[in-house]
Amino acid sequence: MMRLWRLLLFAYRADFRRRYGAEILAAIAAERKLPEYRGAAGSIRHACRTFVDITASALRQRLAPRPAHAFRSRHMDTVRQDLRYALRQLARRPGFAAVAILSLALGIGGNTAVFGIVDSFVLHPFAFPDASRLLIVGRAFPKLSTGTDFIEVLSPAEYEDIRQARSFARTAAFDLGNRNISGGDVPDRVFTAFLIDDPFPVVGLPPFLGRGFTADELRPNGPPAAIISHRLWVSRFHADPALVGKTIRVNGNAATLVGVMPPALLLVGTDLWIPWGATPGRVPRNMRNFSVIGRLARGASLASTDAELAAIAARVAGDHAAQFPEYTGWRLVPRPFANGVLQDARPAGLLVLGAVALVLFIACANLASLMLARASGRQRELAVRVALGAGRGRLAQQLVTEIAVLAAAGGAAGLALAAVAIRASNALVPAQFTAFGLGASVNARVAGWCLLSTMAAVALVGILPALQSGRTEPNESLKQDARSMAGGRGARRARHGLIVAEVALAVMLALGAGLLLRSFANLQRVDSGLDAGPVITMRLTLPQEKYRGGDAITAFFEELARRVDALPGIRRAGLASQFPPQAFIRLRVMVDGAAPAGGETLPTTFATIASRGYFEAIGMRLRAGRLFDDRDRPGAPPVAIVNEAFVVRHLGGRAPIGARIRVGSRPEQSAPAEVVGVVGNAVNAGAASAPMPEVFVPMELGRDAWNQLFLVARTTGDAASAVANIRQAVASIDPDQPVYAIRTLGQAFESGIATQQLSAALLTIFAAVALTLAAVGIYGVTAYSVRSRTQEIGIRMAMGAERRTVVWMVLRQVFVLVAAGLAIGTGAVQALGPALGSLLFGVTPIDPVIVATTAALLGAVALAAAWWPAWVASRVDPVVALRYE
Amino acid sequence: MSPRKTELRHPLSLSVTHILLALADGARHGYAIKQAVEERSAGEIRLGPGTLYEAIQRLEDAGYIEEESARDDPGNGQEAQRRYYRLTPDGWSVLRTEIRHLARVVDHARAHARLRRASLT
Repeated sequence: MMRLWRLLLFAYRADFRRRYGAEILAAIAAERKLPEYRGAAGSIRHACRTFVDITASALRQRLAPRPAHAFRSRHMDTVRQDLRYALRQLARRPGFAAVAILSLALGIGGNTAVFGIVDSFVLHPFAFPDASRLLIVGRAFPKLSTGTDFIEVLSPAEYEDIRQARSFARTAAFDLGNRNISGGDVPDRVFTAFLIDDPFPVVGLPPFLGRGFTADELRPNGPPAAIISHRLWVSRFHADPALVGKTIRVNGNAATLVGVMPPALLLVGTDLWIPWGATPGRVPRNMRNFSVIGRLARGASLASTDAELAAIAARVAGDHAAQFPEYTGWRLVPRPFANGVLQDARPAGLLVLGAVALVLFIACANLASLMLARASGRQRELAVRVALGAGRGRLAQQLVTEIAVLAAAGGAAGLALAAVAIRASNALVPAQFTAFGLGASVNARVAGWCLLSTMAAVALVGILPALQSGRTEPNESLKQDARSMAGGRGARRARHGLIVAEVALAVMLALGAGLLLRSFANLQRVDSGLDAGPVITMRLTLPQEKYRGGDAITAFFEELARRVDALPGIRRAGLASQFPPQAFIRLRVMVDGAAPAGGETLPTTFATIASRGYFEAIGMRLRAGRLFDDRDRPGAPPVAIVNEAFVVRHLGGRAPIGARIRVGSRPEQSAPAEVVGVVGNAVNAGAASAPMPEVFVPMELGRDAWNQLFLVARTTGDAASAVANIRQAVASIDPDQPVYAIRTLGQAFESGIATQQLSAALLTIFAAVALTLAAVGIYGVTAYSVRSRTQEIGIRMAMGAERRTVVWMVLRQVFVLVAAGLAIGTGAVQALGPALGSLLFGVTPIDPVIVATTAALLGAVALAAAWWPAWVASRVDPVVALRYE
Repeated sequence: MSPRKTELRHPLSLSVTHILLALADGARHGYAIKQAVEERSAGEIRLGPGTLYEAIQRLEDAGYIEEESARDDPGNGQEAQRRYYRLTPDGWSVLRTEIRHLARVVDHARAHARLRRASLT
């Protein structure tokens, strides 16, 4: 930030800056520490005030009449002269200035807005101090063919192992869940983290009020304590500063509120922290529901942590692989917290950032070719000035000053544009980010990026014209007449090169947008395997304190299913522990009588608890056997339903009905269940993946009672309108029981592809802007070339050329350039294709249909842009043209 | 310093008067001036760093204040780098004139029945 202020000081006169610059910077730094500027909002307020203060006083100073004695720098004088000259030049051609500023504003503003969005969601999503040194530890079990996962993936015993690593100064682990906070009218269900160790020193932020957990509170059966989020403190406890030390009720049990978190949301958006309070040694090593975070110790790095964790993993494998075979070859993977938590948004974010940079390039190329055209138009003027003794550097400087004035105006407008866009963008953000409480805002980094884009624009636009003007040969230019003046070969080549570059960049964007749109369409068209129609889903979690034991839980859910089934407007209701498009819970599976596949490791399968009505409610189709029914009740023999993928993968070739399978964390110890039915495949591993094997066990059997299930109801009318009735049905059984995570099945599917949707939409917008800019560029260059060739065209027509021939001559030139751009752009996309890989679905980077469409679109755009100049050329009156000088 | 002085417009602006007044207690460095002014005006006058040094420059150019040649006690390194400003004899006389002028305004206002109760007591 101070670097930015130092830059801003250049707004002052040089003498003033030399005299007071250091003092001003010191004063800014001192002010920054005042209590009123604390926190994120404070920093922004401070930045705004300082910015206004500096620019205003610098402006007053520059506008004030200069004291006669003041130190005059020759350099500053020429800058002023150039500025005045540039302003005069631009004022003389307001149309040109407006177009230039507008296109720069679009380019710079777009860049800044996208950077702001990507910065707040992908690059710096969490406001932790020194965020790159806060790591999250993930793990991968190649034996179970899992990928690297980070959230709820490690057991308390494994956390104890990780805690030994010297690379971490502090560590903490948390399990995620939900708790009811009571008191008040409505029972509030809040997202909760159950903690081993105090997270405050790990995330690096102090509590807003109170303190973190003490060792006493964290040990098993310690005094109950709770910490709440800032937003909960405001919304539920009216920001009562005396709340700390008071007792609140968590799932009906009293706990002392010991602290309030700072306003930034910590630990993936949890609102309540309570100590986990059990003994790690008592929990089996494979009960993996903790996420582990650690702050790097001084001198440690990501690489050193990686090495140390690898050694720990190897040691654990040596000690426990006999009992837990998945440890063979397992890996512990440290990652910066944000990358681990939000990993799959990075490619999309960087792609969009790259794409919008291309838009800025195009805008700059456009402006550069306009400037080139003007520079060659002014060649004579420049030549005269060189002849009169102006230095070449001086001429180039003047040109760059002109561009800088344009860019500064464009940058300022761009920043304003970006601020609006960034604010509006929060509505478009996929739910995976809003769940963590993230939001985009304009900060110092965004302003810095805007400045950077502006400077880049000056360099990009300025370099060619400056080189060109530097090459002015007064002798030559003055001897030349108007005919050849405009079309120096070098200048023409430069203009044509710019058009090719513009077209190539626009092609890249258009192809990229086409690919993403196709992918998105393919994703939407994926056959979910479910019957169509309105379905509403919601989640219920029964407090363990109130519903003790499986019978009470099963009784509640059975009664709920019965009552919801009876509601008007409900076709069928059911309950399940997970539902399409994304299942999470995997268990290991054994098939009786089959040789264990792939050696000693057991394969895994999605395992879902489902009630009787679930299959009809969600719309799964029965392929063989039966669904769950009255026969499946407590005491009855265990049964299971499997999907077709399961039959193919695990029962290959055998008759599925009647097969006996065992499912569990240690399946060899669980009782076998008989397969009584087969259902069709439904999407269960995300919309972009083929359905995986899945086993369903009946909820009514009561063997695996889960206190957290989804209610799924197929409705006759609009799905959302059934919610009120369902709420009433829940309240009629237990008035204290909240429902949450309410969404339609359609929304559940949409949120799975929100990132693709957003990047496809953004890229389409960029491509449209890029094509428009390219069209403007093509028009400009063609019109210019027609104007400069008027005489030549006149001669051709005098010699008998037809109008058609003239039009074709102009268009042909354009088409050659466009074809070159198309080829380069397509080649570039092919080269960059692999980078797009993770965002594409069902298309290859070079899709002939998309390339053909892009080529056709581009041809049409080029034709539209070049048509008018070509027509103008064909209207040239030879007599007038030949007189034209 | 400069051989010729630039004139400041009179009457002085309120913030300039406050700055001179702050220096009447003795030499201060820039940030201390700002703090004193903001404190005395009960926060009504805010001096951003840019505005502050802009005013300091004008006062220096006008010859009302000057940099103290050297601090007797350099203290720690930071302290030594700071520049301290003090009133020149010209500055004193301008400040006196200004205060007299303001006092007259206040006297007149106090004599006015409708204003007396409003804000001055």
